[in-house]
Amino acid sequence: MKCTKCGNPNVIIKKEQSGQYLCKDCFIESIEKKVIKTIRKEKLLDKGDKVLVALSGGKDSVTTLEILNTFRDLNIIDICAVTVDEGIDNYRQDGVDIAVRHAERLGIEHKVVSLKDTYGITLDEIMQKPNHKGSCSYCGVFRRTIINKAAREMGATKIATGHNLDDEVQAIMMNYLEGNTDNLTKLGAKTESKAEEFTVKIKPLREIPEREIGLYVVAKELEVHFASCPYAQQSFRGEVSDVINKLSESHPTIKYSTLRGYDKIKNALKDDFKKDYAHGRCEKCGEPAANKLCKACSFIEELRGD
Amino acid sequence: MSFTLKYTDITEIREITKQNYTIKELINELGLSSQTVVSKQNGELVIEDTLINDGDEIQLIQIIYGG
Repeated sequence: MKCTKCGNPNVIIKKEQSGQYLCKDCFIESIEKKVIKTIRKEKLLDKGDKVLVALSGGKDSVTTLEILNTFRDLNIIDICAVTVDEGIDNYRQDGVDIAVRHAERLGIEHKVVSLKDTYGITLDEIMQKPNHKGSCSYCGVFRRTIINKAAREMGATKIATGHNLDDEVQAIMMNYLEGNTDNLTKLGAKTESKAEEFTVKIKPLREIPEREIGLYVVAKELEVHFASCPYAQQSFRGEVSDVINKLSESHPTIKYSTLRGYDKIKNALKDDFKKDYAHGRCEKCGEPAANKLCKACSFIEELRGD
Repeated sequence: MSFTLKYTDITEIREITKQNYTIKELINELGLSSQTVVSKQNGELVIEDTLINDGDEIQLIQIIYGG
């Protein structure tokens, strides 16, 4: 077997969806070119943008940072990063340390924000409460709020997240299967909110399969945190993911076709199902909120009431 | 005929029990999925169809975790 592009006999991947064999250099180049193509096609970046990378230290966020940095090298954009420390013992610190080292290596503005400093409680402490709602509910809401706040404080015009092809396809299928048309209108490469307090979010990796991102960081010898969150649980997302991966074995293009199909109907979905939320302010913290309290503050109130 | 397997914190010598033994077969024997690991043979990334030779060091790196 030889690299389909350059003939190098040392191939590192057989792409099931195209039948291509690629060597290390051609594979790395193909990933970077594809992400750049997504950025151009979806108009994810504008000249002069300051992009905040949500940097956990895992493979997806490190890859996002690495490829976006090529635009920074060309003086097209500026980059900063935020790492959320959820307070998970024997897990999070490794990722935080890796994120700090990447930010130092690239010389970018970076801050680490902890749940403890922001809300006075760690995820470990939340999970000790008898009536908690499951780690992922809190983690998702608190993390999103912290990242949005950081974007405003650091003057970012975009927030880049490391969502990959698998994440996107899982979200499309989960929301479709659950009949959640509201959430279906919110997916896509670029999500904008009418509330100006919410910074535009972009997903440069949404067309890259998760396994290829893992291979990319190993091939480029990028330091990343490969570990499983101790609170990871068998979720509906996990079940949907298993079905899609099983189908992919005999239908290797199915993740791409699911994404393409969604992208074709997205505007129609938005026209028919997009809800306009009331954009008030949280009475407690001043963040945008549909109700009296934002989701993060209402969680904190509930947790204090235990 | 044997090779060294490195996977997570484990390093062990394993016998090559058949001819044309591939990394893919090793991954299946270990109950892993080739969707969640990448493979190195003697320090170099390789595809899972690669044959394991006597004296090889095979490293499996888990890149995707469930949950």
